Amino acid sequence: MDLQEFRTGLDAWLDEHEPELRADFGPDVTFDAEIRHLSKVKRMTFDAGWMRRGWPERVGGLGGSTLMRAYLGEALASRDMIEPGIYSMTEVLAPTMIEFARPELAAQMVPRLLRGDETWCQGFSEPSTGSNLGSLACRARRDGDVWRVSGQKVWTSLAQYAHRCVLLTRTGPPESGSRGITALFADMDSPGITVRPIRAMHGRDEFCEVFFDDVRVPADRTLGEVDGGWAIAMDLLPYERSTSLWHRGAYLRQRLGHLLASAPDGALDPAELGEVVQMAFAFHARSRATQHRMARGERLGPETSIDKVLLATTEQAVFDLVAGAVPAAVALGGDADGDRWRTEFLYSRAATIYGGSAEIQRDIIARRLLDLGDGR
Amino acid sequence: MMDAETAALLAQSLERAFRDPDVKEVEAALDEVGWREALDAEGAAVVPLLFARQGAANAASGALDDLLVSSLGLPAGPGTAFVLPEFGTFAPPGSVRSGGLAVRGLGGARTAAADRAVVLAEQPDGALSAVVVDAEKLDARPVGGVDPRLGLAAIEVRDVPAPGGAPITRAAWDAALAAGRLALAHELIGASRTMLRLAREHAVTRVQFGKPIGAFQAVRHRLAECLVAVEGAEAAATAAIGADGEVSPLLAGIAKAVAGRCARTVARHCQQVLAGVGFTEEHDFHRYFRRVLTLDGLLGDARTLTRSLGEDLLRERRLPAAPPL
Repeated sequence: MDLQEFRTGLDAWLDEHEPELRADFGPDVTFDAEIRHLSKVKRMTFDAGWMRRGWPERVGGLGGSTLMRAYLGEALASRDMIEPGIYSMTEVLAPTMIEFARPELAAQMVPRLLRGDETWCQGFSEPSTGSNLGSLACRARRDGDVWRVSGQKVWTSLAQYAHRCVLLTRTGPPESGSRGITALFADMDSPGITVRPIRAMHGRDEFCEVFFDDVRVPADRTLGEVDGGWAIAMDLLPYERSTSLWHRGAYLRQRLGHLLASAPDGALDPAELGEVVQMAFAFHARSRATQHRMARGERLGPETSIDKVLLATTEQAVFDLVAGAVPAAVALGGDADGDRWRTEFLYSRAATIYGGSAEIQRDIIARRLLDLGDGR
Repeated sequence: MMDAETAALLAQSLERAFRDPDVKEVEAALDEVGWREALDAEGAAVVPLLFARQGAANAASGALDDLLVSSLGLPAGPGTAFVLPEFGTFAPPGSVRSGGLAVRGLGGARTAAADRAVVLAEQPDGALSAVVVDAEKLDARPVGGVDPRLGLAAIEVRDVPAPGGAPITRAAWDAALAAGRLALAHELIGASRTMLRLAREHAVTRVQFGKPIGAFQAVRHRLAECLVAVEGAEAAATAAIGADGEVSPLLAGIAKAVAGRCARTVARHCQQVLAGVGFTEEHDFHRYFRRVLTLDGLLGDARTLTRSLGEDLLRERRLPAAPPL
C-alpha cells in the first residue's frame, strides 16, 4: 500500500468512525478517561489495519513506509481524536523493542503496545539525572538469571497506567558514566515497584516518580548489550524528534486553525498571527523532510535537534498567541474551550524542557553540527 | 528534472562566476555558464542553486532581472533590466496616465549598463502590462545607502513615452513575485550561512581566558540559534517549490519573510560573537549585514509580508493547507 492509498483509505475510515473516535474535552474529563480513549483509538485503528502499517511484520505490523505512521498520527491529531504527547510515545518505545529486544520478546510485546492493550513507560530521568543522562544511578545487579534493580526514576510519563517500562540502569561502577548503563524491559506489576504520580502545573498527573526496591527483572529482558544502554538511548533520541514531532506539529496546526476560526473580531493581531503561521510552516517543512529521510532508511542523528528547537519554539508561540487573543478564556474560562486553552497554554511552557531541554538541544547543535568542540 | 551531477556542475560554475567583485564580470560569467538557458530549461529548480551562492559570495548580478523578466514571459538578456517596486513594497512600480508612464521604483545592479528596462505598470483601468522602455529614459540615480556594492538605483520619472506593452494577468504577476521572492529568500539564506561561517571561524580561533570563545555556552548557544534559523528558513524555501516544479505564491511569501527574519537573527548573534573585529570594515561581516538589510526590502520586506499574510488569514478565517507529507 502506498502513502496515497493509505491516506485515501484512512481518511474515509476516519470520516465513518468520527463519532466514536472523537475525544472529549473539558473540566470534567479526567486523565483516566483520556487514557481510556487513547487505548480505544489505538485498538480501533489497529484492528482496522491502519496502526499496523509502517511497522515490521515480525512485530505484528503490515510493513511498508514509515510515512504511514507519520500520516496516521497527523490525521488523528488534525481531527482532534488524540493528544500526541501520549499517543506518540509508541514512536520511541516500539522501535526500542524492535531494534534491541530478543526477537521473540519483541514479537510478543510490541503488538500489545500498538493495539493499546498495554501502556508502556520510559524510565530514563532520575532525581539527579536530568540533562546529564550519563550520570544515572538506578542500580541493576546481576544475580543468576535475574537483574535486581534498586533506585528511583522521575518524570516517567504514564507510569501509573503502565504495564511495562523501558528502563535505563547502572550496571557498571558508579563512575562508569555512559559506559556502564544497561537497558531493561521491566513488568510494572513486579514486586518492589512503587509509583507516585506528580500533579503537573496544567492539572494532569502527566508523569510520576517510580521507586524500585530490589525489583527482579529476568535477564532475558535485557535490551541490547549489557553496559550498552547508552547506545540505545542515543539511537532512539533522534526518533523522539522525528515522527512524534510531526504528530505534534499537526496538532499545533489544528489548534491554530481553531483559534483563527473562533477568536473574536479584533482579538488577533495580523502581524503576530502571520509570524506564528510562518513559524509553524517552517517547522512543517523541516519536519516533512525529516519524515522522508527516515522513510528512505537514512540514519537520523543530531540534526533532529533542530527540528526539536523549531517545534518547541513554535508550540510556545502558538499558545502565547492564544493567551494574547483570548486572555479571559485562558485565565478564567470555566467552559470546555477555556479549560482546554488554559491546560494547553500551561503545558506549552514545558515544550522547551521535556525530551531534552532547549539548552541541551543547542549544546548538541553547537558540538555536533557546528563542530565547536565539547565546550571544555 | 535536473540530475544531481548536472546540478553539481552548474553549482560549481556559479560559485566561480560569483568570485569576481565586478558586476560586469559576474554578468559575463553567468552568460558563459548559460544561466538563462538553464532557467528556461529547468525553471524554478535552478533558482536555489544560483541565488544561495550569490548570497553566500556577497555578489551582485542581473540574475533577479532575468528571473522576473522571463517569469512574465518576456525575453531576458544581459541588456534588459527589470524595475523593482519601491523599497519594502511590492506594488507595480509603473502607472500609465494620459501623459505617458510614471515610474517609482528601484533598479538593480544591471540597470546602469542596460539598454532597456521592463516596467510593470498599472493601466488606468487597473489592468497590468509590462512596458519596455529605453533605460536612459528612466533617469536612474545610484543610491549609495547601506549597501553601495549592491548597485541599486532610484527611479522616479513621469511622462515617459510608453508603447502599449504586453498585458500581464494578476496571476502572472503573482507568479513572477513568487519566483523573485523565492530567489531573494535563497540569497538571504546564502548570506546568513556565510555570516554564520565567519562567526564560527572566529569562535574556534579567538582565545580568551585560555580557551577558544566557542567553548563558552553563551557563544555556543548564539551560534546554535543561528543554525536553527538558517535551517528553518531553508526548509521553508525548499518547500515553496511544489512536486510539479511550480512556485507557490503563498509559500514563497512565507519563505521570504522567514528568510528575512532569519537573516536579522543571524546578523545579530554573529555580530555579537565577532565583537570588535566584526564592527570594522576590515572584516567581511559588514558586507553581509549590509546586504541582508537591503535584500529584505526587495519585493516586500519580512514585516510587510508577515502582516499581509495575517490580514489575508483573518479575512478567510482558516489556515491554508500545508504541503502534504
